[in-house]
Amino acid sequence: MDTHKGILLCGEIEKGTLAPITMELLGIGRVLADKTGQELSILLMGSDIGGLGEEALAYGADKVYVAENPLLEHYHSDACTMVAADLCRKALPSILLLGNTDAGRDLAPRLAARLQAGLATDAVELDIDPDTGILVVTRPVFGGNALASVMVRKVRPQIATVRPKTVKPAEKDASRQGQVIRMVAEVDSSTLKVQVVERVEEKVEGVRLEDAEVVVSGGRGIGSSQSYEMIWELARLLDGAVGATRPACEEGWISMLHQVGQTGKMVSPKLYIAVALSGAMQHIAGCSGSKCIVAINQDPEANIFKVAHYGVVGDYKEILPAFMGKLKELLAK
Amino acid sequence: MSPVSATYWGLSGYVIFWVLFAVAFGLFVRRLFFLFRLMRQGKDENRFDNIGQRIRMMVVEVVPQWCNLKTVTRKDLAGLGHALMFWGFSFFLVSYIIFIGLAGGFGLAHVIEGTAFEKVFLTILDVAGVAVTIAILWAAFRRYIIRPERLEPSAEAAIILCTVFALMVLNVCVVGFNYALLDVQSSWPPIGAALAAWLTSAGVSQGALDAGYKISWWLHYVLIIGFMVYIPYSKHLHILTSPANVFFRSLGPKMAPQPINFEEAETFGVSQINEFTWKDLLDLYSCAECGRCHVNCPAQLSGKVLSPRETILSLKEHLLETGVAKPEAGADASAESSAKQMIGDVVTEDAIWDCTTCGACQEICPVGVEHVRKMIDLRRNLVLMQSRMPETVQLMLRNMQTKGHPWAGVQSMRLRGDWTGGLDLKILGEGGNDHADTLLWVGCTGALVDRNVQVTTSLVTVLDAAGVEFGVLGGEEACCGDPARRVGYEIQFQTIAEQNIEVFKSYGIKRIITACPHCYNALKNEYPKFGADFEVVHYTRLVADLIGKGTLNPAGGWDSAVTYHDPCYLGRYNEEYAAPRQILQAIPGANIREMERSQSTSLCCGGGGGHMWMEEKTGRKINEIRIEDVTSTGAETVVTSCPYCLQMLEEGIERKQLKSSLRAMDLIELVEKAIN
Amino acid sequence: MHIIVCVKQIPDPEIPSAKFKIDPATKKVVPPAGVPPVISVFDERAVEAACQLKDKNGAKITVISMGQGKVADVVKHALSMGADDGITLQDSAFENLDSYGTAYVLSKAIQKIGEYDLVLCGRQAADWDSGQVGSILAEMLGIPVVTIARNIQAADGGLRVERVLKDGYEVVQAPMPCLVTVSNEVGLPRLPTGMGIITATRKKIPAWTAQDIEIDPAQVAPEGAHTEIVKLSVPIRDVQCEIVTGKDAGEAAVELAVRLRAANII
Repeated sequence: MDTHKGILLCGEIEKGTLAPITMELLGIGRVLADKTGQELSILLMGSDIGGLGEEALAYGADKVYVAENPLLEHYHSDACTMVAADLCRKALPSILLLGNTDAGRDLAPRLAARLQAGLATDAVELDIDPDTGILVVTRPVFGGNALASVMVRKVRPQIATVRPKTVKPAEKDASRQGQVIRMVAEVDSSTLKVQVVERVEEKVEGVRLEDAEVVVSGGRGIGSSQSYEMIWELARLLDGAVGATRPACEEGWISMLHQVGQTGKMVSPKLYIAVALSGAMQHIAGCSGSKCIVAINQDPEANIFKVAHYGVVGDYKEILPAFMGKLKELLAK
Repeated sequence: MSPVSATYWGLSGYVIFWVLFAVAFGLFVRRLFFLFRLMRQGKDENRFDNIGQRIRMMVVEVVPQWCNLKTVTRKDLAGLGHALMFWGFSFFLVSYIIFIGLAGGFGLAHVIEGTAFEKVFLTILDVAGVAVTIAILWAAFRRYIIRPERLEPSAEAAIILCTVFALMVLNVCVVGFNYALLDVQSSWPPIGAALAAWLTSAGVSQGALDAGYKISWWLHYVLIIGFMVYIPYSKHLHILTSPANVFFRSLGPKMAPQPINFEEAETFGVSQINEFTWKDLLDLYSCAECGRCHVNCPAQLSGKVLSPRETILSLKEHLLETGVAKPEAGADASAESSAKQMIGDVVTEDAIWDCTTCGACQEICPVGVEHVRKMIDLRRNLVLMQSRMPETVQLMLRNMQTKGHPWAGVQSMRLRGDWTGGLDLKILGEGGNDHADTLLWVGCTGALVDRNVQVTTSLVTVLDAAGVEFGVLGGEEACCGDPARRVGYEIQFQTIAEQNIEVFKSYGIKRIITACPHCYNALKNEYPKFGADFEVVHYTRLVADLIGKGTLNPAGGWDSAVTYHDPCYLGRYNEEYAAPRQILQAIPGANIREMERSQSTSLCCGGGGGHMWMEEKTGRKINEIRIEDVTSTGAETVVTSCPYCLQMLEEGIERKQLKSSLRAMDLIELVEKAIN
Repeated sequence: MHIIVCVKQIPDPEIPSAKFKIDPATKKVVPPAGVPPVISVFDERAVEAACQLKDKNGAKITVISMGQGKVADVVKHALSMGADDGITLQDSAFENLDSYGTAYVLSKAIQKIGEYDLVLCGRQAADWDSGQVGSILAEMLGIPVVTIARNIQAADGGLRVERVLKDGYEVVQAPMPCLVTVSNEVGLPRLPTGMGIITATRKKIPAWTAQDIEIDPAQVAPEGAHTEIVKLSVPIRDVQCEIVTGKDAGEAAVELAVRLRAANII
């Protein structure tokens, strides 16, 4: 086990720049590296990475591995697994961190299997156990009803995927120095078993959930897609995005892209208005990062009131029109 | 001398008479045999038990026309007309056998001619003829001029009405011409004699009188045998089949579907006409198209697709079209020969799901058609064979499977035993409680939905006040299975029923008090088929008795006008109309105002048959219509005794924005307030 | 096509939060009385996806589940939905396995089953929410893996799979045999038909032990676990909800707007 040293991050590139999760990984990676006195390196995979390696140094990496190949332009499961596993076998990191993103969720368990390593997904807290120097990963389980702390004692690397927007992103310091290592990414399309046919971007109506300052979400209590129009109206009024619980999506009242929760979008707006949703933990998991949660629900016992900052007990069909009426008046001032 | 004995164009009248009769009777029998064979294609079902009771039932219903008279209301007196026509025509039927058949056909006319018997009988016919004529004119006036909603101004009805009218006129003509011809001096039968007197005084020649007599006699005869042939081809088939249908009526619990034997059955429910039982098919023959079901059906009243009458008629038409399967072509041949899919083309899925199983159609039906179980059989096929159902139904059934109750949303965030918190109860299975004689069965809704939990708490308070000892199952209580059964998911109902019966037995329970009429109906009427042997009582009966005995004294009274909404599963299904009213009457100050639609003609709240969990997409909301019934009584409180009804009524009040002037309560809440 | 679906029995994830209890000592969830365990939400979707393929292309579906106690119930549920065969993997050696150990046991069972074209798993178990077993299992079996699918179709001798992405989806073509993990977007699981339930009741569900599938004891020994849960706790929520009231709903709504404005939230 002593053969494994250092912290390796698996960064992500989005539209030619470092993705926000990369900065977050660098942020927490730096903290852990400093605590253990280890080196912090990061792997960037892409087709034409350009100066992003240097930028990663500025954000706190000591070493950047750059793997370039046209096949790596978008995340490809087989290709990325090959490249990352290769690097891990050579660099032998003690800790490997990825984002709990589309890519990281797919890549991490495959790496764990290939490297016979230990993995904890969806971390919301990462720390070093002072006695053993082992990484302690805290992750929500049972849909967020409980928190589990996980340690990887016997195998290396210790792998974790970090939930976006849960750790502090790194700050840029252009004066930082480090090493950019261009590695040969030997990916041959003939070795890729799964072929990507197409990538379809689905446009979300209105404001994007992830970027919104205000999110208005409805649940099963809304009752129909027709009634969901009221949620849209409120969101438009506040220039916010529309969210939904899993049941509301599955009822077909709104596109799945609006699903907020553990397996949907994670949002952390300034204001989250939860309408006629009971507050199942797997939904709360997706919105608990909001600065202020307002709950509107008929059932005073509903779980949502246990996590909300403001609450109104009553029928949303009566509350929302009056609320919107007053809002218009207040916003006009 | 009867016109039969004369010779026409060289042919003996007797030959013409019997040849005509033979042809008509042949056609009549052929048709009946065809209909019989069609009916026999239906599945077996034993309706030959308790023959004595069945005969009595038939005689009591049909002969005094109770079947029709029971439907008479101030607004709809048609049943009276039908009774007049039935009784009147019965005499004519006898007269045809005696005068035309026996006397005419066998040349025995001279035996009765001029006898007192003839006079008396002709007089009776005269009077009956008047009664029938009045009924006919009234019926025609109603059907074609007033046009009530339930009646179609069809050509078929016109043919029948004209024929019967003509028969009545011809009857008078026959007597009139005959008397004038023979110069019989009599004032009896009055109308016939009056016509004879007029003919004589008008100086009509003997030849014309003779011709008139013969023509009216033969016309009468031709019409009546034509009528005989027409009957089995028309809705008047019910003349022949409805007495049989009343005879074969279900003697078991009302509206109860037949259990499916899952060990043996290879298909479930009904998707082809011959998968109905023969009694279901006899139902189709018996429909007289009176439309009473149509105007009493909550789906129809609220503008949905379903009409019970149209369903029965479409099925009948489909049955006749499908025809008799050829034996060599196998059992499926009949279905294949018809391009129509029974579910979809004949009865639409929307119609099948519109039914609230309230039983209003069946209750009002004069000929004993069993509509509700057909709807459930159709649903069974959709759900058990094809997995086709509204999403809301699927969600409800999923909840029943995974959570053990049909509720979703906020209720799914609760646990069934939560309602017991803070109450001093004997919870079986907890704290060493392993036995209870009497069980209070709360039901899913009473255990999980806030508003209904309040009612459950009131019920516990009242029972405690009366010193009734009982246990509850708390978290161990399960669903009774009724929602699953009504939407056709029979297998789940049976599993639940068997499990519940086990639980009851394990605690040695002898008597079960239920709060919910749906649970009551399931436990009392439908569980015995699965081995249950418990006394089941709805709280209304129990509390009425406790008040009667003086154990409970609702002296506190209630100071407002109340109306009582009969829950279908307590009222129509179990005929418990009295107990709730006895309770209300015992509460001083409760000023009871009955709704026009009450007791057996009560209107469904819209929540039965799985509709508590379904969306009411088309037409008006049934509960709004019911609230209009309530407001027209001027009551300030509408009282009911069913958790579904209570929810639906409250929703209706909210929808109609009547919260300030009207409120819905469960009867037990009234009792609780009155005894304190 | 032979499809193997791996399903897991879990404590009902819809247990109301207020009733959710854990035992910190054993690091396990204590389900409230009267709430039976259920099939994991996503695994049920995997069965649904398998049934969709069966409906369209014809397939034999075998369901396997590793667990204790009434684990046969979830297999039965899958059978009633339309699966053809079911196997449970029950052995005291299988208790408290981590993702790696679980994938190992499943891989041995699948190897014993033999021929297959597709293995389906839920995207994650709705209890521990790890989302690892499917991918590790695929690596162990040496077959391609496609994760978080929302649609699976047979096409060009392989499978055409739509993967859920943050802003849309990705269509991939995978050869068979392969493993696909299924997300809830695949559609609501079907309600078992009457025939399905009856067939499921009559079906024998063999229970395989460690010996039956030739498990190497070292691979499932507690010492061999790759990950270890060192602590399980219920987070303390210190949010105090301010319930806004009024004479009626409308008034409360107006008051809410005023307060949000005063707190500078809107």
